Amino acid sequence: MVKKKRGIPEPEISIPEPIVTEEATSTSSLRTTLEEIKTYGGVIGYILRNSSSAAIDLNDPTKIIDYAILSSSALDSSEKLSELFDLGTVKNIIVEGKDVQMLSLMIGENKISIFLEKGADYEKILKKLC
Amino acid sequence: MDDEVYAFAVKSALNEIRNICPEIISAFMFKEDGEIIAGDDATSEKTMVRVVDSFDTILEKADAIGGVDSITFEGSKSRLNMSCMNEVYLVTVASEKADMKYVNATTRVIIPTVLKLLEKICSSPIRKNSPLPATEPKFQVDEEIKEPPEEPTEKSITEEFEELPKPEIKPPIKPETSLPEPPVNQLIVENLGGLLVPSDIVRIDNEILTQWSNLYEGSKIEEVEIGTFDGKTTRCKVKPIKDSKYEGKGIIQMPEKVQLALEIKKGELVRARPIIEGGG
Repeated sequence: MVKKKRGIPEPEISIPEPIVTEEATSTSSLRTTLEEIKTYGGVIGYILRNSSSAAIDLNDPTKIIDYAILSSSALDSSEKLSELFDLGTVKNIIVEGKDVQMLSLMIGENKISIFLEKGADYEKILKKLC
Repeated sequence: MDDEVYAFAVKSALNEIRNICPEIISAFMFKEDGEIIAGDDATSEKTMVRVVDSFDTILEKADAIGGVDSITFEGSKSRLNMSCMNEVYLVTVASEKADMKYVNATTRVIIPTVLKLLEKICSSPIRKNSPLPATEPKFQVDEEIKEPPEEPTEKSITEEFEELPKPEIKPPIKPETSLPEPPVNQLIVENLGGLLVPSDIVRIDNEILTQWSNLYEGSKIEEVEIGTFDGKTTRCKVKPIKDSKYEGKGIIQMPEKVQLALEIKKGELVRARPIIEGGG
């Protein structure tokens, strides 16, 4: 007679997978939204990055490095400033330049910066993203 | 007008703004080179230095977007705004409840007005460091003479001026007889390290050293007095900054030994003034 095996845990569900899929979905859906935003009037481009990937779409590719540094500096300094002045969770950062404006925000682990022409409407973009 | 009087005027204006808009938690101003002009009573010097330090990289890279007009950090509890006004930066932190239209209307009217007024009173532009030219007192004398109601002409002014009992003013004032008051510059501390770095030498922008030198008719500035905001002071030899990345940023490179003596560290603000033999 074959004895029934007891007490052996069955290795079946691997938890990380669904999370990774969920993150990938949210990043990919964000990217779709950003592609749509890119078609709005006055939008020059965007940078989307997280711990594992980055997507950049800028009208002027020569600006990629400068815009990427600007974007990361703004997002990095938000933590420090929030701590100094108890700003709470920083919902968004708007850098108004003399020629271009940059709107930066974090959605989950995704850091997003959208570049717009001076005077373009970023409220519409904020509504779309938040 | 010296830097301290200028800073006092700006500080008073910032405090008044906070009285008008109590939702403003903090307000201060700094120059393009990172030098802090003044802050309200509620904001500590250390906090201001740390904020300026945070903005440093953003401002450095802002050429890509044509330079910065303003930066806003929208937080869940409050909002930080930095805006460029007359080549200086105003930082305000306002609570979530603040009516930003009112806050902006107030700050964008009062501050530029105060700055313009101060610029009119002060002969040198605000973004430059304070060393006043040796001829500065002459303007003040002219202004005072213009006021009497006796229809003064250029000639009569000169005559009156000559008739005044004066303590023997000889045309070119020699530095040997009366040296101008040493200018004080606010500088941000940066580390200075390396194997062959002497522990008693600090490094300052060559531009500042030249300004000081010009003020004392070309005298070589070899020593500076460094003071902290806690009242600690020390004297060090001084040389120009070698590393171009630190030039024009209002930085003082300092060996660890000097930092320990002054109980300060990188990123903090100190006051430096030249030491002139027989004058400083």
